[in-house]
Amino acid sequence: MTNKTIWIVDDDPIYQIIVSKIINRSAMFSKIIPFKNGKEAIDQLQEVINNNEAVPDIILLDINMPIMDGWEFMEEFNNLKPKYLDKIRIYIVSSSIAVEDKTKSKKFKTILGYISKPVTVNDIVLIASDE
Amino acid sequence: MILKRKHIKFLRWFIVRPRTSGVLSFLFLCAVTIIITIQQYQLVKEQEQREMNNILNVVHQNIDQSLKNYYTATLTLALTINDEGIPKNFEYVSKRLIESNKSIFCVQLVPQGVIKYVYPLAENKPALNLNILTNPYLKKEAFKSIADKKIYFAGPLQLKQGGLGIVGRYPIYRHNTFWGFSAVIVKLNTFLATSGIQNIDNSKYYFQFSKYDSDTKKEKFYLNYSTDLKSKYYISTEILDGDWKLYLISKNKYYLYSAILIPCILGFILAGILGLLVTTLLKIPNELQSLVKLQANKILDTEMKFKTIFDQAALGIASIEPVTGNFLEINSKFCEMLGYTEKEMKLKNFQSITHPDDLEQDITNVDHLKNGRINEYAMQKRYFTKKGDILWVNLTVTPLLDTNQNRENLIAIVEDITIKKTTEKIIKKSETRFKSLFDDSPLPLREEDFSEVKKYLEQKKLIHKSTETVLEYFNQNPNDVDECHSLIKVINANKACLKLYKVKNIDELISNKNELFNLKSRNDFINNLVAITQGKKQFIIDTLIRNGKGEFRAINLRWNLVQGYKNTFERVIVSTEDITNRLESERIIIDTKQNVESLINTIDGIVWECDATTYNFGFISDKVTNILGYTPEEWVNDPHFWSNHIYPEDKEWVQSYCKIKVNENLDHDFEYRMIAKDGKIVWLRDIVNIIYDHGKPNMLRGIMIDITHSKEAENELNTSFEIVSEQNKRLLNFSYIVSHNLRSHTSNIASIVSFLENTDSQEEKNEMLQLLKTVSNSLNETMLHLNEVINIRTNISLVLVPLNLNEYISTALNVLTEQISKNDISILSHVPLDTIINYNPAYLESILYNIISNSIRYRHPDRTAIIKISYHIENNLKFLEISDNGIGIDLIKNADKLFGMYKTFTTNSESKGIGLFITKNQIDAMGGTITVESEPNIGTTFKIYIR
Repeated sequence: MTNKTIWIVDDDPIYQIIVSKIINRSAMFSKIIPFKNGKEAIDQLQEVINNNEAVPDIILLDINMPIMDGWEFMEEFNNLKPKYLDKIRIYIVSSSIAVEDKTKSKKFKTILGYISKPVTVNDIVLIASDE
Repeated sequence: MILKRKHIKFLRWFIVRPRTSGVLSFLFLCAVTIIITIQQYQLVKEQEQREMNNILNVVHQNIDQSLKNYYTATLTLALTINDEGIPKNFEYVSKRLIESNKSIFCVQLVPQGVIKYVYPLAENKPALNLNILTNPYLKKEAFKSIADKKIYFAGPLQLKQGGLGIVGRYPIYRHNTFWGFSAVIVKLNTFLATSGIQNIDNSKYYFQFSKYDSDTKKEKFYLNYSTDLKSKYYISTEILDGDWKLYLISKNKYYLYSAILIPCILGFILAGILGLLVTTLLKIPNELQSLVKLQANKILDTEMKFKTIFDQAALGIASIEPVTGNFLEINSKFCEMLGYTEKEMKLKNFQSITHPDDLEQDITNVDHLKNGRINEYAMQKRYFTKKGDILWVNLTVTPLLDTNQNRENLIAIVEDITIKKTTEKIIKKSETRFKSLFDDSPLPLREEDFSEVKKYLEQKKLIHKSTETVLEYFNQNPNDVDECHSLIKVINANKACLKLYKVKNIDELISNKNELFNLKSRNDFINNLVAITQGKKQFIIDTLIRNGKGEFRAINLRWNLVQGYKNTFERVIVSTEDITNRLESERIIIDTKQNVESLINTIDGIVWECDATTYNFGFISDKVTNILGYTPEEWVNDPHFWSNHIYPEDKEWVQSYCKIKVNENLDHDFEYRMIAKDGKIVWLRDIVNIIYDHGKPNMLRGIMIDITHSKEAENELNTSFEIVSEQNKRLLNFSYIVSHNLRSHTSNIASIVSFLENTDSQEEKNEMLQLLKTVSNSLNETMLHLNEVINIRTNISLVLVPLNLNEYISTALNVLTEQISKNDISILSHVPLDTIINYNPAYLESILYNIISNSIRYRHPDRTAIIKISYHIENNLKFLEISDNGIGIDLIKNADKLFGMYKTFTTNSESKGIGLFITKNQIDAMGGTITVESEPNIGTTFKIYIR
């Protein structure tokens, strides 16, 4: 088991439960932290950075969320210092199969990939080992 | 110098103030008088005092001397007393004493105070044996001399012997015991006489002699003069041996003042007179000076006046020495005319500046004037100015007479007439020019004389008769017309005129006049005659003539009376312009124009022309009546017709568009609406060309084509296209929603199933099954929602029923009663009770419920929630407005998501993101729209527009 942290940002509680189980099964991450929307995630990220704590290695980001959606999160995220931008790898995980969403995700350099739900153990292993 | 100046200044100060100076000198003299008087007074007083002191001293000394003598006498008498105390040779000694001092009345020896020895006895017997130490009248003074052990003069006493006398008693001691007195009696009169009192000047002074009586405490006076000394001036001295006091009294205490009063008064009077004198004296130069000033002013004034007249005169004036011709005085106008300064002029004589051609006559005139042959002369002559220009002047010279009527100097008055001279020249020139103008003018011109015609008309009494009368007369008397025509005299004709008539010279023209002039058009000539009768000064007519070759020419005939001949008609300038060719070309133009117009009117569009800046239409083709119903005249006559008949919505942009295009020099082509005469809206395509004049847009020309039909078709097409694309958009949106919402559930199911397959743990299997159930429920819910939405969308032909809006609001509020009362929410509904709208009942219920419950759900935690419901009609749009003071929505971020499915903006667990989505769909289905205005922390307002 590697010593990596993964953040799950999604408003669907069922998905949260399922994806946690999948990640556990992949045994690639030592720590899984769920967030209900982009706002909660970006606030936490700011706090972690301010306290000089370890930032997550990977963030799985949903697009459609209340309060702050995935795209809004990305805008805030891109305002962070470059050294964090390099460190944190972000993957969009959405049930949307709309082409516009995929195209839009490519506009963000900091987004490394677009995964359509359902997420599989293989997906997790792939992104975890994709250094 | 400074001192002197100060001195003068000081003096001047006084001179200019005579009254002050008078008063000052008066005061000064008074002061001097007072000082002198006081000194005088002091002097007199001192002298007086000295004199009185002297007198008193003399008297005092005399008295002292007498008293000393008496003392010696008593002493001598005392020496007669022998050792036994008996006087020896008393008689003898006494006799000797009295002989040596006649003033002594008697001598006594008074042993033990009793008068025993007296000499001369005979007169003094009564005193014998008088004990003076007991006699009360005498004893006091007697005892005083005993006590003092020295001589003391008692009295003056009333003597027993008669009369007043003084007694000098000398106390005699033998062996230190009192023996008695030796005494001397002197009559007071005698005593005073010896003192010399009587010798003084009685007129001025008198003496008084007194003794202080210690019994009565009074001073007793012994002389028969006034004893009241208080108001008098006096001096006094004391004589101690008798306790007497001697006064010398000035008889008149005021005589001193009188001695100084008169000079003092005189002094004052003198001061007064002197003061007045000073004032008057000082006034005189002042008055004289002011008189001089007045005179000087008058002279100055006169001089100024003269100088002004001399200098300011519009004419040049100079005084000239007749022999040399030098300028003695010269005014500025004269100098100005010639351009010299006054100084320069005074160094010149008139000969040097006069034009040589005029000099001789001028000098002759001056000589005549000098000799007295003439009294003045005037001539026009030329001067040379400083610049060398010629100055034409009108010169008038008169001699200046002195007091003896002798001719001294000459006065020359000069008027500048250069302009006049120049003008004369110009007039001559212009005359010549006019002559050549006339001759060389390309316009045929004649100079004629109508005076005979006028006289003839006067004879016939036609002048100033009405036009009708004159016309009738000539129609009835055609011979008179011929007569008048023959009376016209041709005076002159220019080259062009000869050319027009095709004659060689004027004579030929005159001889053929009757044939050549406009007799062919008889009526025109009659009109000409009418004009003369009406007193017209000019006449214009288009008429016909025949030239020398027999050709007819159309001419424009004009005549004008020459200035100065307006009443006699002696000089008339007649111009006869050949307009034959012009008329021909005009005819061609008119023909062409008619052709073009008929061509234009066949075009199926309104052809027009207007000014490029004012949009004033100069032409509009007849098609305007077909297309818009207006006549071309209506359009052309109203300068704002076009802009006033553009459809109001298009008016502004059409005008500004045109302006911009014209400014950019661009031809343009655009579409707009106009209002036809019957009120219909007509779509026009206007194709505009710019016509340039000297490179600038001058006119606009164009054609308006009626495109109403195609425009309507286009609009219909646009509308249906919009509907289709809107529906398409919704459909796409819906399919997206469907796929997204269903996919999230299916992906969850897929994951769960995969878990179920790959796990052996029963526990995990149970957990997965539980999750599957939850997902299934969610999916079901979503399906319900979607179903609802589909229902809305499919029910295109929903039933619309007239509904009372207020009732439905009440129903919605009833459903929400519990939440309203629980959260203490106030609902303010201002919807009129009788508001009826056409709506689907179920939708209205749903819409009201969703929006009101939304407002309740998103109320602000810190304040009482207020929800206002109102109904409005604005610009024919009906809408229901529901506003709250809740937490609000950040519309900048969320505007596009607000009415989307499953879009929520808060962490509120109650929000599902379906209510507004359904509401919007329902409103859309009813053909209305919903708008929202909101601000975070302030509140939200929804407006539901109802079709």
